[in-house]
Amino acid sequence: MTLLNVVQDYFWGFLIATGMTLRLTAVSLVLAVVIGLLFAFLKISKYRVANIIADAYIGITRGMPLIVQLMFLYFGISSIVTLTAFWAGSFALALHAGGYVAEILRGAIQNVDRGQTEAARSLGMSHGMSMRLIVLPQAVRRAIPPLGNQFIIGLKDSSLVAFLGVPELFSKAMTAAAANYSPFNTYLVAGTYYLVLVIIFTWLVHKLETRLTPYRQEATR
Amino acid sequence: MSVIDIKGLHKSFGDLEVLKGIDLAIETGEVVVIIGPSGSGKSTLLRCLNFLEYPTEGEIRVNGELIDPKKTDLDKVRQHMGMVFQHFQLFPHKNVLHNITIAPMNVKNATRKAANMVARDLLQKVGLPDKEKAWPSQLSGGQKQRVAIARALAMDPDIMLFDEVTSALDPELVNEVLQVMQDLAAGGMTMVVVTHEMGFAREVASRVIMMDDGRIIEEGTPEQLFGDPQEERTRMFLSQVL
Repeated sequence: MTLLNVVQDYFWGFLIATGMTLRLTAVSLVLAVVIGLLFAFLKISKYRVANIIADAYIGITRGMPLIVQLMFLYFGISSIVTLTAFWAGSFALALHAGGYVAEILRGAIQNVDRGQTEAARSLGMSHGMSMRLIVLPQAVRRAIPPLGNQFIIGLKDSSLVAFLGVPELFSKAMTAAAANYSPFNTYLVAGTYYLVLVIIFTWLVHKLETRLTPYRQEATR
Repeated sequence: MSVIDIKGLHKSFGDLEVLKGIDLAIETGEVVVIIGPSGSGKSTLLRCLNFLEYPTEGEIRVNGELIDPKKTDLDKVRQHMGMVFQHFQLFPHKNVLHNITIAPMNVKNATRKAANMVARDLLQKVGLPDKEKAWPSQLSGGQKQRVAIARALAMDPDIMLFDEVTSALDPELVNEVLQVMQDLAAGGMTMVVVTHEMGFAREVASRVIMMDDGRIIEEGTPEQLFGDPQEERTRMFLSQVL
């Protein structure tokens, strides 16, 4: 099959599968941020037990291949609780990315000048209030570039969920390539879909960053 | 009654004892200026006053109430004490107006309208009425520090603590900040000022305290301390900075 044939035959099919890829990515990344924030707080907590739990979680999720975690969650856990392939995939992606997100957020929170907290506390704010109003807003803004990076990795990692049988972009591409005997052209087209998604996403992250940091445009401290 | 009354204050960081027994009472309306060489414990003493550092030993009374950092609600105590820092510490993600209103609105539950009114009044006082929409990053050091003073004043404190607030400023910006502090003192505000600005100490202080090596070694009116210092170390220090 020529490249043109591949595009003609699979354009819509791949586009629909891209919808599934986006759903997987969106669900897993929202979960990853929630998980990441939770473990970031455990990691900076003054309680030793919380630190250990966070270290263990981050160590495990970062220390094992994503495909192993995917298989474990789908085939391993589903002997206890039944998870659909979509949710097993989303959870595995989220747990995996969550470890990285936790580290990104922890770094961002700890990089906010301690003097900011002191200034907030000196005004009579409680610890929680100074965290919520002063530290976190600054940390999140600083975390946007590395988070964006992590989200792009998450988008591409979602292709591994193909091995659980979720009909997303890469799984469609594999099926197509097996049927039409033109793997080169087929994967080239599928790869271009990912590339376009990543380019759009990068642009969105950049927009968000400029939008959320108006004060940084003339920044000299 | 003293606003702050300190007895036998010690503060150590690990093995390093920074404050080695401080007794000090600050009366309403006083402007107490603390001078001394770097490392003498001036800033640490100031930071103990509003419990940014917890004393290792000793008693601190605020408005007569003995404070136990482990039991007393320190947020409440700090609401009555304003502090201004060497490095400004304005909140970079808030504009000037919001920097000033954020504490009254969130800590004291002031309405936006009331908080804005107070803030605009204070900006007028520190000479920056046209800067309420500016971001901190757009201000000069002197302007930042004046906003920081306004921010602390917005909580309507009983006492203001100044921690080397002109040390990070370009020389030509020092006076605009000192002027605001002088106005504040003239208005009757109780102030504790750690500074290297001897001119300010001489003109504005009601009492000057000389610290060295974690202790108060000499105190008195500016005339006494600058005109006729009793301690050799005070004389040495003054000869170096004047």
